[in-house]
Amino acid sequence: MAWRWITAILGGYAFAVAAAMLTARLLPAPDATARVEATGWPMILSFLVYAGIGLWALHEVRLGRVSAVIWGGAIVMAVTLKLLGVRP
Amino acid sequence: MSAAAARRGLRQTMAWAHGWLGLIAGWILFTMFLTGTSAYFRPEITRWMQPEIRAEATPPAQAADSAVRYLSRVGPDDLQWYIYLPDARTVATRIFRIPAKPDPKMRGDELDLDPVSGAPLTARETKGGEQFYRFHFQLQLPHPWGRWLAGLCAMAMLGAIISGVITHKRIFADFFTLRWNKGQRSWLDAHNVSAVLGLPYHAMITYTGLITLVTMYMPWPVLMNYASPAQFMQTAYGTPADVPASGIRRPLVAIAPLVRDAEQRLGGPATRVIVQNPGDAAARITIAQAKRGAINSRTPIATYDGATGRFLSRSGDAAVAIDTAGVMLGLHLATFAGPALRWAYFVMGLTGAAMVGTGLLLWTAKRRKPGTAPFFGLKLAERLNIAVIAAFPAGMAAYLLANRLIPATLEGRADMEVSAMFWTWGLLALAQLGLPARRAWTVLFAIAAAFWTAIPVVNALTTARWLIPSLLDGDQLFVAFDLSCLAIGIGFAAAARISARPAPKTPGRSRRTMEPAHA
Repeated sequence: MAWRWITAILGGYAFAVAAAMLTARLLPAPDATARVEATGWPMILSFLVYAGIGLWALHEVRLGRVSAVIWGGAIVMAVTLKLLGVRP
Repeated sequence: MSAAAARRGLRQTMAWAHGWLGLIAGWILFTMFLTGTSAYFRPEITRWMQPEIRAEATPPAQAADSAVRYLSRVGPDDLQWYIYLPDARTVATRIFRIPAKPDPKMRGDELDLDPVSGAPLTARETKGGEQFYRFHFQLQLPHPWGRWLAGLCAMAMLGAIISGVITHKRIFADFFTLRWNKGQRSWLDAHNVSAVLGLPYHAMITYTGLITLVTMYMPWPVLMNYASPAQFMQTAYGTPADVPASGIRRPLVAIAPLVRDAEQRLGGPATRVIVQNPGDAAARITIAQAKRGAINSRTPIATYDGATGRFLSRSGDAAVAIDTAGVMLGLHLATFAGPALRWAYFVMGLTGAAMVGTGLLLWTAKRRKPGTAPFFGLKLAERLNIAVIAAFPAGMAAYLLANRLIPATLEGRADMEVSAMFWTWGLLALAQLGLPARRAWTVLFAIAAAFWTAIPVVNALTTARWLIPSLLDGDQLFVAFDLSCLAIGIGFAAAARISARPAPKTPGRSRRTMEPAHA
């Protein structure tokens, strides 16, 4: 049960951070304004992702699946971000 | 829950999540709702807490001029000056200095100036409405832990709202089956009524609350698109780049004409002036306009050369995301709201506290089994409920009472007022342990009632601005403040009375409390 809550709170945050960063990096940004939009919207909407993934961690019975999706997803996204690097 | 939950559906797991999220975060959320609600009247509370000040409305240009004259005298070599100009709701100019060399003797606090003369205001030292406002998101903890904890609680609130809505559909169906335990029935109804009526407000205030500190909680996307956060701020908000001081002395131009020019360019009264490198050839003056009536709290700014007075730039149109965040921030702070809407916000904030409070009570009511000794967790939850729901409001009243009772000229009195709040809260929270829980509810509610009712009385005994003279003067602020305290006191007296009634155990009584469900 402790691991479930840790995954929901810390893992959920890590997942939401990685998802927001990846979205910000991947959204098209042909000009300066679009780049601000691509950065701002993931920031604003990230809390919905966090709430959603956190509640799912409390709902889904199979804890292994919860851990794999949340921690695994966060790690995969983090690696992708590392490979992509800062937008030139 | 694992095995059982496998057979149960989404509503059951969400009800379980709702219960635990609500309980753990609920105690802090209750205090956040109360202090946050009071912060809709932050400037008014400050004015009540400094009854010596009866300032007249001053045009922003004049206030800026007097403040700059004062600052040029005390801090000609400062790096930056922040000047917050008075408006319809505040009577003082607030200034904040960033000195060139950090001076350990100088207090980092803001200073209030008389907008007409520019002299520091000689009023009793107090944190005023700022105290409740700061507690609302910093929880009196060291930076940045208070803000992180408040953010975590806000996230729990968001999770509790979503899971609560999912659960509620099931509860709605249960309205017609009526298989509830008798005692908790009424708490459930109260929780549902306060939550459903206020749902749009609660959801809005929770999400926009997270947005107020979004650059702290979720700055990470910036790192993927910009070399530095400053670069993002510059593009997103039109913040002018910092210019290093040149080292060549040049006197600062007269500020009042610039303020008037900026008001004309930006189309509204000026609210804030920032002077960088005052007295240097590379001085910069930025003037922000208060967008009165507009929800977006992002204020447009105009920038001037401080040595020549030449207009340099103004902030342009922002990206939609930035405007959205600005509107969300504005919706949370409600600075755009007129008196009627601000009172509506206040009432909705109280329904938020009521929703959290009844939810906390429901958690204990649900687990209390008649005739059996309560387990430790239940006893702990009940005592924490008393400490938060009944004792914390008494602490808030103690803060306001201390403002009138501590001598006005005493050194360090502002901190004593804050201590009064927390000592009262802490001591009451401990003292209740000496009483049986039911009795503790009644006694603490009665104490809260006495404290809140005492505020207008003590105000009358210690100042000349009590209810009758305020009524005769047409001083709406002081009248409204005294009457509000009285109303809160009466509310707690009613709570004390209700909690003193015998527990609803008899069948006749519980049938009566069940009746509304048929309607």
